[in-house]
Amino acid sequence: MRFQDVTMALDRFWAERGCVIAPPHDTEVGAGTFYPTTFLRALGPEPWRVAGIAPSRRPADGRYGDNPYRFQYYYQYQVLLKPSPADVQETYLASLYHLGIDPGAHDLRFVEDNWESPTLGAWGLGWEVWMDGMEITQFTYFQQVGGIECAPVSVELTYGLERLAMYLQGVEHAFDVEVAAGVKMGELRAEFERQHCSYNFDHVDADLQRLLFDRFEAETQRLLGLELVYPAYEFALRCSHAFNLLDARGVLSHTERQGYVQRVRRLTEACAAAYLAPRLAPASKVA
Amino acid sequence: MPTLLFEIGTEELPSWYVRQGEVALAELMRERLSAAGLAHGAIETFATPRRLTVIVQDLSERSARREEVRRGPAASAAFDPNGAPTKAAIGFARACGVDPAQLSVEETEKGSYVFARREAGGEAAAELLPEVLAKVVTDLPAPRKMRWGAFELCFVRPLAWLVALLDDTVVPFTLAGLEAGRATRGHRFLSPDWVELAHARDYPEALAAANVVARRSERLERVIEAACAAAASESLQLARDPGLEDEVTDLVEFPTGVLGRFDPDFLELPEAVLSTVMIHHQRFFPTRDEAGDLAPSFVAVSNNRVHDLSVVRSGYEQVLRGRLEDARFFWDADRRETLAQHAWALAGIAFHKELGSMADKVARVAQATRRLAELLGASKEEAAALKQALPLFRADLATQMVYELPELEGTMGSAFARAEGLPEAVAVALEDGVLPRGPGGALPSTRVGALLAVADRLDTVVGFFAIGRKPSGSADPFGVRRASLGALRTLASQGWRVPLSKVVEAVAESFTTPSVSAETVAEVQRYLWDRVAGLLAEEGLQPKVVRAAGQGSRSVIGAGRRAHLLQALLQLPGFGDLLTLHKRAANLAKQAQAHVKVRPALFRDPVEAPLHDALPSARRGVERLMASARKQLPPWDLGRGPGVTLCDLDAPVAEVVRLKVLLDDFFEGVLVMVDDIEVRTNRLALLSEVAEALSDLGALAHLEAAPEPGRPSQARPG
Repeated sequence: MRFQDVTMALDRFWAERGCVIAPPHDTEVGAGTFYPTTFLRALGPEPWRVAGIAPSRRPADGRYGDNPYRFQYYYQYQVLLKPSPADVQETYLASLYHLGIDPGAHDLRFVEDNWESPTLGAWGLGWEVWMDGMEITQFTYFQQVGGIECAPVSVELTYGLERLAMYLQGVEHAFDVEVAAGVKMGELRAEFERQHCSYNFDHVDADLQRLLFDRFEAETQRLLGLELVYPAYEFALRCSHAFNLLDARGVLSHTERQGYVQRVRRLTEACAAAYLAPRLAPASKVA
Repeated sequence: MPTLLFEIGTEELPSWYVRQGEVALAELMRERLSAAGLAHGAIETFATPRRLTVIVQDLSERSARREEVRRGPAASAAFDPNGAPTKAAIGFARACGVDPAQLSVEETEKGSYVFARREAGGEAAAELLPEVLAKVVTDLPAPRKMRWGAFELCFVRPLAWLVALLDDTVVPFTLAGLEAGRATRGHRFLSPDWVELAHARDYPEALAAANVVARRSERLERVIEAACAAAASESLQLARDPGLEDEVTDLVEFPTGVLGRFDPDFLELPEAVLSTVMIHHQRFFPTRDEAGDLAPSFVAVSNNRVHDLSVVRSGYEQVLRGRLEDARFFWDADRRETLAQHAWALAGIAFHKELGSMADKVARVAQATRRLAELLGASKEEAAALKQALPLFRADLATQMVYELPELEGTMGSAFARAEGLPEAVAVALEDGVLPRGPGGALPSTRVGALLAVADRLDTVVGFFAIGRKPSGSADPFGVRRASLGALRTLASQGWRVPLSKVVEAVAESFTTPSVSAETVAEVQRYLWDRVAGLLAEEGLQPKVVRAAGQGSRSVIGAGRRAHLLQALLQLPGFGDLLTLHKRAANLAKQAQAHVKVRPALFRDPVEAPLHDALPSARRGVERLMASARKQLPPWDLGRGPGVTLCDLDAPVAEVVRLKVLLDDFFEGVLVMVDDIEVRTNRLALLSEVAEALSDLGALAHLEAAPEPGRPSQARPG
């Protein structure tokens, strides 16, 4: 199964289960959880189901493409189901089957993984799903998002797409994965990865990113003052990315790092509160 | 009598909770059945990642009968002048479910009141159980619970099904959208269909048939067997690890051992890195060859029995390769700089905002370590190793490897030191200095490492006390308690006889900002002595013995030895009686003037001289006892006990206990507070010497306390 067939199969699978198949968001994010369709929509009482490929950037995770699994730019497949359905584990296993993976032919386990995102004021409990020792999916029941208790609770599934595709194609490096007929992932991403690693680790202009962070932060606050939550949240995401670049560049002391984390968190929490305020029904006001 | 089966089916529990939940469930069932008045026989438990189960044998069919008594209004308010019940009495009777005519008037200490008495109990178990079982689920204790869907209920992970059977009958109740029933689930992949249970007692066999090893102890055995067998298939030894065995047991319902390999080139990585990646990240068991060296093979315990093991095996191998490549990336990258260069980066890592960076902390620790080395005396070689180790201590905190694998702090410091070709003593000291890693963790093996460890841990304790962040009750956010215990265990295990006060002062002197006041130093000392007492109490010593030894000691090991000596002495005949007389002498001696020498010429009573003459031999006896304690009790890990019992104390004890008869005679025949001031002063001086003669054994006054309730008194045997 080619890489693009994997994402199309997952789109089809989750569409049939009532999900909106949302196109990727166009601001840099560290993970699909930062997508407005996840972060904001996990708040409040309205039922919501969304799925789709979520390109993500984690500058510090880059390995110049040397490591078969770790990249500063990679693809997640992101699913959010609110409220979390009772049979979600079975549905998830069915999605693997749909991809041609027979869970019964592998050592498949749900291993405790308590997730926390300090920059999103969010935490949840769940698992890493291990297939033959490899983490292929993160499975999280959101308990709190943007500093706000989730009611009802959403469940988030995040598939590691490169890993799944490597498995399905029996290759040992993500760049060897065939994306379309005759086109390998490496052709699309190897040089991109190498150059970005070089940028992230050695050539990020720290002064510029610090300046951008400050300006984006002020812009988020200004936009929140105008009740423009969606644009405000995008600027909060840009702050998060500027912080990630500074972190990868290795210019932040421990204390300074904590300071930036707190600043991003204040912004995302303010966005969450502003998003929720107009649609807060009494039933979702759980202390 | 019927059998009750109660199974809480869940989505996968965290592995650490499987064990904890199994115990908690049995305890809670016991408590709730008893509260409901339901007697029962044995309780058997089962626990896997997907279920917590109890089987209760011989449950009584009805709850025990008992009389319920409730007190109502005062008699004066319960009846009108005609003797008819008032509204208050009628209301009370209704609330109690009795007829007003059945109310009785009884006298109490507070006057006469109306009482309702009613037969209660006798309800059918089948009627009581739905509520009991539902409450067991909601009240099952766990450190962290979660919500799911739109339900209010909190549990460790979402509930997936409930089985509640009283013999062959379902105990009906509903919880979080689930109806309790008779259907359980087998292994997720090997037996995916629901399993209907006809009878509660069918449970163990039904699960075995559905490929679930539900008894935890049995599953643990199967894990070990399977893993050892997999290693043995290639003549390798499994690197046994009880923590990993427990964890793996609670990650699987049906264990199968699988042997896999990795590229021998990775063996160039430090062994601790390889083991940590295998154990902590992948839950794989490392293996060793016949020579005991780490082999390029591992054992995984699979949760599935598959047709084609090669698929699973190559999956394991591939993911381990990725992890090891990452580790090699860090190992290579970190070694592009020396430890000394990494140490520069400690200035950018905060310790605490009021206590500076890690570089500040390490600089303080270096100063304190030098002072401690002077106090304790270090050999030339040790001083040389220390000099080299100090600037590198904790420098590995700044490496990528320790950032990714924090549990390797210290271990990596010594691995990088070895790779740089630094002397072995320096490498060992760098790891020793971060030990112990927790309660019960291994202690530093070298003196140099122990010096670093004590200075580093006490820097934490003194620092947080100085900025007013001392631990309180259960809250200890900065690990001050853990640091204290680590330092004290290290001091004791090295057998250092230097006073604890000097050690604390040496550490306190290395602080400039914040400055450390004399009060803080005193407060830290009191806190540390309380921890010493706690550790000695863990060794099973009586509290009064611990108090007597603690107040009579200056060094930590001295307190330990005295405590064990006193505990042993209290078992010996005559010693307890001697203590009573000693206390009387010590109390009177408080009136003695300081520095007055006994003058034998002033003895007026024939019993005075023998008592005085016996003192040198009593002192010698005390010295010999202390010497025996030092000789027979080599330094040990405080809290675990020295592992030996003191013996051969009879002869020196006899020298001491001889004072008893002489003191008896003295108190029998001699009046101390006579009018003749010279004689009186002389007698007080004599008693003062008696008290002083035994003082090296500890603050003996504490041993005179009345026997503690609930403990047999060992002070006066026979």
